[in-house]
Amino acid sequence: MDFPFLKEAVNGLFSKSSCDMYPVKPAEAAPRYRGRIVYHPDKCINCMMCERVCSGNAITHTIEKTEEGDRVTRTFYLGSCTFCATCADFCNHGAIEFTGDYHMVATKEEDLMVTGTFIKKPPVKKAAPPKPAAPAAPKAEEKPEVKAEEKPAEAAPAIQPRDDGKPVQDASKCVYCTICARKCPAGALTVDRAAKTWTLDEDLCVGCGTCAEACPKKCIII
Amino acid sequence: MFKKLIKESTGKSPWLFHINAGSCNGCDIELVSVLTPRYDAERLGFQLTGSPRHADIVVVTGPVTAQSLDRVLRTISQVPEPRCIVTMGSCPQSGNVFRGSYAIAGPLSKYVHVDVDVAGCTPKPEAVIDGLVLATKILEEKRGQMK
Repeated sequence: MDFPFLKEAVNGLFSKSSCDMYPVKPAEAAPRYRGRIVYHPDKCINCMMCERVCSGNAITHTIEKTEEGDRVTRTFYLGSCTFCATCADFCNHGAIEFTGDYHMVATKEEDLMVTGTFIKKPPVKKAAPPKPAAPAAPKAEEKPEVKAEEKPAEAAPAIQPRDDGKPVQDASKCVYCTICARKCPAGALTVDRAAKTWTLDEDLCVGCGTCAEACPKKCIII
Repeated sequence: MFKKLIKESTGKSPWLFHINAGSCNGCDIELVSVLTPRYDAERLGFQLTGSPRHADIVVVTGPVTAQSLDRVLRTISQVPEPRCIVTMGSCPQSGNVFRGSYAIAGPLSKYVHVDVDVAGCTPKPEAVIDGLVLATKILEEKRGQMK
C-alpha cells in the first residue's frame, strides 16, 4: 500500500516548530517601528504644532498659571493615535519620539496615556528689542529685487540671530509671500503683502522655528 | 466535579469571536495572522469560532459605526457569561481618525464594559497575543467568581 506524504508526516513529528513562539521567546519590533510615544517635556516649547497636525485628536494639553510661569501638561492618548508620526515630524525640537515598544495592552484608559509636564517661563522683556523689520530704507530696493529674483542681494544687512530664539527676518530677501504667517502655530506673525511689512508679536511667538523652515526664500533666521 | 473541571479548563482553550464594526480591514487581517502558523495563537488554545454562542472572548475591531451598533450589541449579548471583550486597534477605543463623524456611534465603552484595550493602528500580532493572554486571565478570574 502506498501512503502519500507519510515521510513528511513522520518528519513533521520530529522537526522544530516553525512558529515564532512569541510569549516564550520575546520578539523585537522591526527597526523604525512606531510604537509607544515617549514625550520629552524638557525639549517642548508648547508651539502646539503637534496638536494641529494630529489626525486622531490624540494630543491634548492643559495650562495652569503658576508663579514661575505657565505649567503645561501635554497628554498623548495612545488609544486614539494612528501612529503616523506626523507630530514627531512637525516637532522642530524633537520632543516627541516613537519607540519600538509595541506592548500597548491596557485594562484601564489611563494606562494608554503618555503625559509630560513642564513650566514655560514668560517671555523676557528687553528694554530695546532689536526690531528686525527694516521699515522704509530697504523698501525701495526690494521692489526691483522681487522682479529679478536671481540677482544676489548686494546690500543685504547681515542679520544676527537673536539670543532668545525668536525669528529675525532678512528684509532684503523677503518677498512677503505670507507663508510664514500662515504656518505660524501661535499666530505671532503678521505679514502685509501690499504694504510689505513683516511684524512679529513677541508675546505670542514661542520660537518653534516653523516660520524659518517654511520660508521659501530662507530669509528668516532663528 | 464537572464544575471544577470547567473552572480549570476555561483558561486553557478560550474561543474567540471576531466582530468587525466598520473596520478598515487592517486589524482584521492582523487578527487572522495571529492564528496562522507563524504566530500561532492556537498553540495557546485560542480558537476562532463562527458563532457568538460558542465564544469566550469577543474581539471588536473598527469604530462602531451607527449602522453596525445594533448588530454589535445584539451579537455581544448572545455571548454567554463569563465573557471578555477585547477592543483591537485605536478605533473602538476612541474612534481614531473617524472621531466626531456623523456615521460613528462609538467608542464601544459607551455601550458595554470593555475588559482589555489593545492599542496600535494596527497592533502588532505580538501585541494582540499579549492582549488575548491578558483577556484569558480576566476570563479565569470571572469564572472563579461565578458559582
